[in-house]
Amino acid sequence: MRRPSRLRAPLTAVAMLPVLAWTLFPIYWITTASFKTELSLYARPPQWFFTPIIDNYARVLTNIPFAQYLKNSLVVAIGTTLGSLVLGMLAGYGFARYRFRFSEAVRFLVLVMRMAPRAVLVVPYYLLMQRMGLLDTYTGLLIAYVSFALPFSIWLLIGFFVDAPVDVEEAALIDGCSPLGVLLRIVIPIAAPGLVVAAIFSFLVAWNEFLFALILSGVEAKTLPVVIAGLNTDAGPLYGEMSAAAVMVMLPNVVMTVVLQRYLVKGLTLGAVKG
Amino acid sequence: MAIGGAGRWFLLPGLIFLFVIDLIPLLYSAWISLFNWWLIRPRDIRFVGLANYVRLAGDPEFTRAVVVTTLFTTGAVVLEFLAGLGLALLFAQPFRFLRTLRVLILLPLFVVPVVGATMWRVIFHPEMGVLNYYLAALGLGRPPWLSDPKLALVSITLVDAWRTIPFMFLVIYAGLEVLPPELFEAAAVDGASGWQSFRYITVPLLTYIMLLAVLIRAMDAFREFDIIFVLTGGGPGTATQTIQLLNYRAFGLGHMGEANAIGIVTLILVALMCWVLLRAVLRPRAAAR
Repeated sequence: MRRPSRLRAPLTAVAMLPVLAWTLFPIYWITTASFKTELSLYARPPQWFFTPIIDNYARVLTNIPFAQYLKNSLVVAIGTTLGSLVLGMLAGYGFARYRFRFSEAVRFLVLVMRMAPRAVLVVPYYLLMQRMGLLDTYTGLLIAYVSFALPFSIWLLIGFFVDAPVDVEEAALIDGCSPLGVLLRIVIPIAAPGLVVAAIFSFLVAWNEFLFALILSGVEAKTLPVVIAGLNTDAGPLYGEMSAAAVMVMLPNVVMTVVLQRYLVKGLTLGAVKG
Repeated sequence: MAIGGAGRWFLLPGLIFLFVIDLIPLLYSAWISLFNWWLIRPRDIRFVGLANYVRLAGDPEFTRAVVVTTLFTTGAVVLEFLAGLGLALLFAQPFRFLRTLRVLILLPLFVVPVVGATMWRVIFHPEMGVLNYYLAALGLGRPPWLSDPKLALVSITLVDAWRTIPFMFLVIYAGLEVLPPELFEAAAVDGASGWQSFRYITVPLLTYIMLLAVLIRAMDAFREFDIIFVLTGGGPGTATQTIQLLNYRAFGLGHMGEANAIGIVTLILVALMCWVLLRAVLRPRAAAR
């Protein structure tokens, strides 16, 4: 892109090291805590290397139906991601290409829907879901989480869609491509990185959400954050088990990101629209 | 505009879904905020109009919470934006191990917030925490990270930054990735410096994405609960008592009217903040066109 400088590699390393240390140390500490006894978590001097024990994992996996909750979390999170992507893609493209009276105001209102404190919404949500018979179901949680994730997806995707080449879209329309076809075949491939980001954050909304999962789900649809919060007992947090659960909860996210980051590369820029 | 009137069919599904699912609970909550409703006294539910709001406006504890929340939000968002932008620019240049490091940088996002905060409390522990162990070894003393009023606010800001710098990074980075490389090539041919192409190409083209990242973070920081609750519970004293902690307390005491009023005030404050930010950033640009 720019003139490559011989200094860049060492400078990048110098800038990167403190950031990495700051970012990764707590992760390292959580991961090692999951293989330690609680006593050695506070050992002095701090234990960087030690003989790992797997008791924490064994306890989490035997005391809690972890697999069931993992499945619940996965279903809800994947469903949320799909719902928020599909609706967000459509609405984002609509806002980016179709102006009407009050379109700015409606767009802002979409964002306002995301601003209410969740604690305030949870009681009315509960009553609404009760009325619809959706308490303790995947659908109930899905609806709540899509509504949390959607405003961000819409706003983010508008940003990636407005800069897509309008001339190419118009040419495709004239050639008989449907508006939906234009979105799917032309705009989406260009905006792929935006979709990846929207997908990751929609997934995380559902994956990490605690309050609504606690209130809206009972036995059937309970998700992992509720389980983990249960490890924070009256007698204090069970650090080892909590860390073990957190590590297991983290892994699917890492896998998802590794898979999705293939699409995080520079989008296809259409040579056709240069100049 | 390319798709014209067909646009409304793109908009409707999402908008209908959003407004049905979110607006009904919101209006319900606004309605409850007009009542004097204490769960302990179910027979004594009275419509009191705006009395809950009037009480909040005259309550020094609430005013103080607004100040604390604003300080926390401002500090966290500025720090996170600068760090996220810096990281995104760093990652926009190819270097070795980029893919691996990109995943590693994102890891804090994947830690359940409550667990992340709990682990930071272990790290911050004044006597037994790993941070103070090394600081003391270096002769820097043992700062009371969470029990000194000023330091506690800094500490929760740092933990929030730890958790959400990856968010800022990822949003801005994805925005950078879709910028057409031809522009930078042309600028380089014309002899533009790195700073010039950042200032005159990256910033204008990325304004919307950066603004969105800041908006989203600002509204989340303003409503942050988990981290503050786990780390300080609002203390020491009221040093880190944000609006959301007051809201939690009101709910906990069963004051439904007041709790919902706090929620609605939060919503109004956040909406105002976003509106001002949007206007401040987008208006001058529109005028310049």
